[in-house]
Amino acid sequence: MSSTAMKPVSSRKDSPDLFVRWQRHGDEAAREALLRQYTPLARGLARRYGRSSEPFEDLLQVAMLGLLKALDRYDAARGHAFASFAVPTILGEMRRYFRDSGWAVHVPRGAQERALKVRDAQERLANQQGRAPTVHQLAEYLEIDLEDVVDALQAIQAYETLSLDAPRPRADGEVVAYGDTVGEEDDRYELVELDATITAVLGHIAPRERAILRMRFVDDLTQTQIAERVGISQMQVSRLLRRSLEQLRAMTSAAAS
Amino acid sequence: MADTANVILTLPSRPENVLVVRQALTGLAEGLGLDPVDTNDLNTAVTEACNNVVLHAYPGPQPAGEEPGQDEPLEVEVTVLAQEIAVVVRDRGTGMRPSERLEEEEQHGMGLAVIAALTREVEFADVAGGGTEVRMRFARAKPGRPLEVETDAAGAANGADAALAQLPGSVQLQLAPGALARAVLPRTLCALAARAYFTVDRISDVQLIAAAIAENAPSSVDGTHLGVGVNVEPRALALRIGPLHSGRGESVLSAAVDGLAPVVKRLTDLKRITPLGDGESLELALVDRR
Repeated sequence: MSSTAMKPVSSRKDSPDLFVRWQRHGDEAAREALLRQYTPLARGLARRYGRSSEPFEDLLQVAMLGLLKALDRYDAARGHAFASFAVPTILGEMRRYFRDSGWAVHVPRGAQERALKVRDAQERLANQQGRAPTVHQLAEYLEIDLEDVVDALQAIQAYETLSLDAPRPRADGEVVAYGDTVGEEDDRYELVELDATITAVLGHIAPRERAILRMRFVDDLTQTQIAERVGISQMQVSRLLRRSLEQLRAMTSAAAS
Repeated sequence: MADTANVILTLPSRPENVLVVRQALTGLAEGLGLDPVDTNDLNTAVTEACNNVVLHAYPGPQPAGEEPGQDEPLEVEVTVLAQEIAVVVRDRGTGMRPSERLEEEEQHGMGLAVIAALTREVEFADVAGGGTEVRMRFARAKPGRPLEVETDAAGAANGADAALAQLPGSVQLQLAPGALARAVLPRTLCALAARAYFTVDRISDVQLIAAAIAENAPSSVDGTHLGVGVNVEPRALALRIGPLHSGRGESVLSAAVDGLAPVVKRLTDLKRITPLGDGESLELALVDRR
């Protein structure tokens, strides 16, 4: 219980006289100087605390507001470094902002926008290179963190709001309604490796989803290959697969009992 | 302490692994239905503590081009209590002395201020045998149920400790109760697959596999920690899960729909079930061939 793993915030850059000039004499120039000096602190905190959430610029505004409050309220006479006073003040401002803006209830706007960007970039890169991109490629392409891409992939899986039935352009550029692309071909497929129960259950799965299930698990195509054949995005294939598997699981367990 | 932690994550102390910790925590927070502002506090503070280990706990950065493999550990333990989440971040470094740490950049000190501002309580301690740990306690805005960890009569049993010795992997995850896998495993494996340069196609497969494991291997055979060891290579993940009840390995392999679409069997490149203690372990390898 003895060692301290991290050093206290440095006070070496503090400028007590600037605080005196601003707080006691209302010297705007002193406040400007302090603001300039500590903007990196506010920026650093906004980046650390606000990742994957609101658009960064919005959050930086909130952090700056916190910094202004800290400049007013800091008491240099107490002997604490300004930063150790300012950090909780600025973080407190950002937390209050999150709570007030309903961030706790809704998927943050920034994360939503990012998920859409990732989804689009995924399709664009897949078209360019003929196979799905890696997370690193997406991060580089979009100039965002690896983790933002990982979060976006999770979010895309989770969003129920993305329309599966929205018309998608095919590789040849023609726009086809999604359901039209699969159904007709479906009858030609032979159901293999399925026992009678499963076959019966499969009858309740929409034809397009049945076809996708089969392409993935019987024909062993990759999701990108399926996406090309069907004329939808790989992400949609992924979500459809998951949805049909869940449906199948529910039905088979119902059939079993 | 480790025996009563709900999530124990041990991984090489490298900057890219902080992402894995964050994803595991985010998954746990989602599974617990934690308030999103609390989740953000938790993630931010734990990131600072992990960065502190990654950047400062072990002497000298690894020379460029040198084979990894001798990486020192970064350990994270999470315990879920009714009113609090307790997190310990630990290194096993011989450690930089505080005076040396004082020489470090200013940014470093800000980490401490951030942790202090976001936690209910934080303390630093020496670890027996060398190393330091940061113990953090986070308030939960909405109290929840604590997650109990079973221990044997000796009170110190941890089946997964022994099991993990036989489930080697550069990344080791222990979960108790094992049902936490549902929350923690998908994001953790997804982050590891991303690190292994998997394409998003294959990452979707990993998500399906993680879900299949979580559904079908919900507890360890001795009722304590379920262990998962993962080796990460470029475009390849090797997983070992155990100790499972006998037969569970096979249910994972044929999961998703009974009889049809054995997702895991089809989507993995190698699968092996081997006896482990009173039960068995399941080994899976996933390769991204592009």
